[in-house]
Amino acid sequence: MANNLSSTSLIKPLVQGRPTEEDIPSGYGKTESYLLPKDPAWMFLFWEITQSTFDYLKSQYGDLLNTARTIIRLHDVTGVALFNGTNSVKYYDMPVILEAKSWYIHAPQSGRAYIADIGYLTEDGRFILVTRSNATAIPPGHISDVIDDKWMIVEGDFQKLLKLSGADYIGLGASELMQVVGQRWKLTELTQSGAPQSSWSSFALHLDKVQEDEDIWLNADCEIIIYGSASKNAIVSINGQEIELKDGKFTIHRHLSAGDVVDLPIHARNAKGDKTRRVDIKAVREPGK
Amino acid sequence: MGQEKGYLALVLHAHLPFIKHPEYPDFLEEDWFYEAMVETYIPLLSVFEKLTDEGCDFRLTMSLTPPLCNMMEDPLLIERFRRYLNQRVELSGKEIERTKNTEFESVARMYYDKFRRYQDLFENRYHGHVLQGFKKFQDMGKLEIITCCATHGYLPLMVHKESVNAQIKIAAHDYRSRFGKNPRGIWLAECAYNPGDDKFLREEGIRFFFTEAHGILHGTPRPKYGVYAPVYCPETGVAAFARDMESAQQVWSAESGYPGDHRYREFYRDLGYDCDYDYIKPYLHSDGVRRNIGMKYHKITGRVPLNQKQAYYPQEAREVAAQHAGNFMFNRQQQIKYLSTILDRKPLVVSMYDAELYGHWWYEGIDFLEFLFKKIYYDQDEIKLITPMEYLQMYPENQVVQPSMSSWGDKGYHDVWLNSGNDWIYRHLIKSAERMMELANRFPDAQGLLRRALNQLARELVLMQSSDWAFLMTTGTAKEYSTKRTKDHIKRFNELYEQIIHNRIDEGYVFNLEMRDSIFQQMDYRVYSTAEKEKVLAKY
Repeated sequence: MANNLSSTSLIKPLVQGRPTEEDIPSGYGKTESYLLPKDPAWMFLFWEITQSTFDYLKSQYGDLLNTARTIIRLHDVTGVALFNGTNSVKYYDMPVILEAKSWYIHAPQSGRAYIADIGYLTEDGRFILVTRSNATAIPPGHISDVIDDKWMIVEGDFQKLLKLSGADYIGLGASELMQVVGQRWKLTELTQSGAPQSSWSSFALHLDKVQEDEDIWLNADCEIIIYGSASKNAIVSINGQEIELKDGKFTIHRHLSAGDVVDLPIHARNAKGDKTRRVDIKAVREPGK
Repeated sequence: MGQEKGYLALVLHAHLPFIKHPEYPDFLEEDWFYEAMVETYIPLLSVFEKLTDEGCDFRLTMSLTPPLCNMMEDPLLIERFRRYLNQRVELSGKEIERTKNTEFESVARMYYDKFRRYQDLFENRYHGHVLQGFKKFQDMGKLEIITCCATHGYLPLMVHKESVNAQIKIAAHDYRSRFGKNPRGIWLAECAYNPGDDKFLREEGIRFFFTEAHGILHGTPRPKYGVYAPVYCPETGVAAFARDMESAQQVWSAESGYPGDHRYREFYRDLGYDCDYDYIKPYLHSDGVRRNIGMKYHKITGRVPLNQKQAYYPQEAREVAAQHAGNFMFNRQQQIKYLSTILDRKPLVVSMYDAELYGHWWYEGIDFLEFLFKKIYYDQDEIKLITPMEYLQMYPENQVVQPSMSSWGDKGYHDVWLNSGNDWIYRHLIKSAERMMELANRFPDAQGLLRRALNQLARELVLMQSSDWAFLMTTGTAKEYSTKRTKDHIKRFNELYEQIIHNRIDEGYVFNLEMRDSIFQQMDYRVYSTAEKEKVLAKY
């Protein structure tokens, strides 16, 4: 299409208007799963299971699946060179909703390597594998117990050094900084829309952390996830705000700041508007003390 | 080794995502680059020039990331920056007249003088190519320029090592083409380190990288010197230097950090809003909406509303910057003196910061650095500035420690780049990487249009992988733009992929993308082949 190479084709935007969810695929037509590390305690698993995989399983196992539970079987594969499905150090089962397509998994132990299998656990205890993830290792999250003979240091000195090295600040790394930067963009955006609202100096920040001191400090954060599904064509709203269903399902994530009290009534009504259903969810986060 | 008791390595990370929109006459987010040029990059060069003229020696380590280098050398962006700078010179010239005999006289004069000097450097000293300026100071041995992951890709969240290998290889190649030698160091994007990734660094001749404090503190075995000496990664011998938290907090603490001083310049009160509309309109974007234009006449003053901010006095602020530099140096002297009583070698304090925070965010940060360099050079002999390579040459023997997975983000790991607000991107990032590998393996030696298409496919992938998009989604700001950029690259990747596998490549489409997503002109898609990765892994 070399005849398109005019200077005007160069300046024509490739994408017209704002992109919508439909613009990128929701899946890639292949049954597979991936496991990512998040921190010493958490991992993120996402997957895609195609209809043909479901059809195949149905043809192989039939009704057995109807009474089976869907689970994630998390294998600890630390030190395992080649995992064959059974040679893990240990495994942990947790229930999962396959339609969720992704899940945050709490790691039973930090500093280990894991593989997540997704599958069915039948009533008689059999595990039917649907998809197996890659292996991922998560960090230890603490000072090592391993001492190097060649590089010995007096324990007292090591403790001093740790303190000097900022061991107390671990995890607070760039958080303040990030909030500063984040704040800046936020305010810039506000002013962009023509409504300058900043009445504070550049460094007025409200850090959501409990007072630190020498002996004890605590840093905790919270996010809530609300998910569910509703009948086809139902109109669902959370706290009065209509939400979009994808394949009849919804997920919302909300950050909960210190002192937040949230009330999240979930309403559904049918297309005609003559029938409704309601689920109430409330959450409270006390301020730090 | 001289009389000094220890060393300070100052490290600035200069980075912006690749933002270039030739399809529009002007584009809001491109301003990030122009602002950083006029507030951080050229002012830094100006300080280097001044120090050199005065015979004041200094040492600084700076990452200039590949996207930034690509933007600095992009003809269109250079032209647009030229326009941006000319406008500022013009406006600040008018402002001298307008503010005569008012309390804003001195600040208006300051802008005019600075813009003129930056324009002079940009046009007459560097002829539009600021990288030449940085390279000059590297060649003089004062500045160590290090590279970064190709597009600031977040390595620990890349499942396929082919992607990690490509991020490093593309970056190293880009560096060589600009600076004529191997990069000796790298700033891993967000200081995100994943054990084993050092193999890919070693392969490119990279000798060191940086981690957050706990990258080393949580390493195995226990690091004898804490963060005050580098460690070597097992098998590869690549050195890891960790961030000192004390000096980091000192500058950036929200409560006590220097930039909050009330005599410093207030960021949010800007001439773009303060001036008469008709007067300021020619300096706004073509949509005519009032926005920040980067000239600000007020000081922080205190916790008062924006309309009660007082006039800014450049001389007063500069004196504060000098005091803060003195205070920073004093604290490093005390810290290093104390550390030297515990360590059986001269300690090294590594202070790492985002470069753009100096000048762009903390306006007087540039003056602060200038004073700090001078004070360290002239006023004392207890501490000395050093680069990581100089330290390694001085102490070639270091403990072997496997650093821990870590990042410098909030909570110390991957939360900022992987959370409920942005986790949807990984399905696409990982799939695209897999498809890229598939095609690189399938076409070991493509030619002609197919080759161009494959190279462009690789560009779309690396642009999609910029950690900036996930970051901006998390901070909730510029969220729309970062979401759109991510989706655009996913869509372009998928479209191109389909064209390639179905053997119906549309040259017009490829050409269009080559013009827009023009990063890495010398891209070679074969870096994604599995054989390339295996070659590296087999060595170490």
